[in-house]
Amino acid sequence: MKFGYIIREGVIGIRRARMPFMISVFSITIALVLVGVGILAVDNGLQYIGDFQTEYDLEIFLENESSADQKRDIAVNISEYPGVFRMDYLSKEDAAALYNAEFGEDVLSLLDDNPLPSSFRVTFDEDHLSAVYIQSFIQSMELFEAVDEVIFRQDLFDRVQGIMQSIYIIASGGLFLIILSTVFLTANNLRLMILARYDFIEIVRLLGASDFMVKAPFFLEGGILGFLGGILSILVIAGFEWGLAYAHIIDLPVRIMNHPELILGMLIFGISLSSLGVLKAVRRMLRFVS
Amino acid sequence: MIRFKEAHLRFDTGISLRDLNFQVKKNEFVYLHGSSGCGKSSILKMIYMDLFPNEGEVTVFDYNSNHVKRRDIASVRQRIGMVFQDFKLLMDRDVYSNIALPLELLGLKSGEVRRKVAMTADELGLRSRLNHFPYELSGGEQQRVALARAMVNSPDLILADEPTANLDAKAATEALEWIWKVHNDGTCVIFATHKDQLLKQEPSRTLSLVSGEIIEDR
Repeated sequence: MKFGYIIREGVIGIRRARMPFMISVFSITIALVLVGVGILAVDNGLQYIGDFQTEYDLEIFLENESSADQKRDIAVNISEYPGVFRMDYLSKEDAAALYNAEFGEDVLSLLDDNPLPSSFRVTFDEDHLSAVYIQSFIQSMELFEAVDEVIFRQDLFDRVQGIMQSIYIIASGGLFLIILSTVFLTANNLRLMILARYDFIEIVRLLGASDFMVKAPFFLEGGILGFLGGILSILVIAGFEWGLAYAHIIDLPVRIMNHPELILGMLIFGISLSSLGVLKAVRRMLRFVS
Repeated sequence: MIRFKEAHLRFDTGISLRDLNFQVKKNEFVYLHGSSGCGKSSILKMIYMDLFPNEGEVTVFDYNSNHVKRRDIASVRQRIGMVFQDFKLLMDRDVYSNIALPLELLGLKSGEVRRKVAMTADELGLRSRLNHFPYELSGGEQQRVALARAMVNSPDLILADEPTANLDAKAATEALEWIWKVHNDGTCVIFATHKDQLLKQEPSRTLSLVSGEIIEDR
């Protein structure tokens, strides 16, 4: 029955203080929208850069005299190398066709023999896209006798890696500041909401309510508040993304609805922020109430 | 039931209660009488453990002020019914909800709550007012609601802090009669007042306070 009291008071509290409750839901929604947009902006930015980066293949050119066995041996080694996402073999004929397609001239008509070497094109998965890792791969490839040259645009790769790291650092700092300010703003707003219920807290304390019985309904109310704020913020962000795509402004590769961890994280963050914020405000008030 | 032993209470403002020594037994009706600011409310606050003596001790239902834990304070208050000058009713709840609140805090089943509230409302003539909000009632009726809330869980003790101060003479007499009726049913009452006429109206043991000291216990 005490449990019944807690649930009933939590719900009644919302009904009785509709306006402060709505204002608090609104403030939590804004806070979560800021956090969610921040995270999505970083994710989308990194996704764009990552996509750009994965386009940079590494090319392993083979000696003209390399045998089929040597090529097979190299192919097996590449495909078994951890982190290799994709491997394509380009024969001398494929290279000539590519040359023809790119420059509009048949290399065989210019020269008697096809001078273009056969090669392997290798793409790494995202988790292994680091210059150090790729360098070690290159070194292991250069040990093969049949390998003539390994071409990898490290300068560009390093630059992209640098940009990604900068984005990580700036975004982390920015997100930290956003989260910090939302925590302060929300806590302040919740304190005002609780302050409006001073009479209730004072009276139930006088009637013999324990600290737990005073806090529990507010804690529940805070949880409901955070949950509603979380749901609303998710809907706002999803609507915003849809609007961007509908107006053909940008079609984001990472969207909130495809990001269940973010949805869960925002709900948990919203619920924790508001219920703990409410709890802190009540605890603070209990120090002043008899 | 209540024992003050060499209790002293000092405030930062310089006002203090000195050398309080008295006992209140079960079934007693005690007036705390004195002018405004003499310390009547502070004594009541020490009984419901909102204030604690700087020296000496106050014992209420075997809970000693020097050793009581925060969670015990709730237990002490659950055995006390309180009536205040400003009624301290929840204005956004109807009379039924106000009276039911102490029972709900105790975790009683809803059927039991309904039964006890109806019984108490009947006793105090509030049956027809259960669905009204406090602001729809007269001062006298609001004080009766406060009294109903104080007595609904059959407390061992009722503390009344100037319950008639905001009432006209007729309503004040009525309120006093109701409180006496509760006392006659077996509840100990401590009634703080500055009105001499109430003491004459329903005489009982009186602790007279002047500037924080009990000068007479008669």
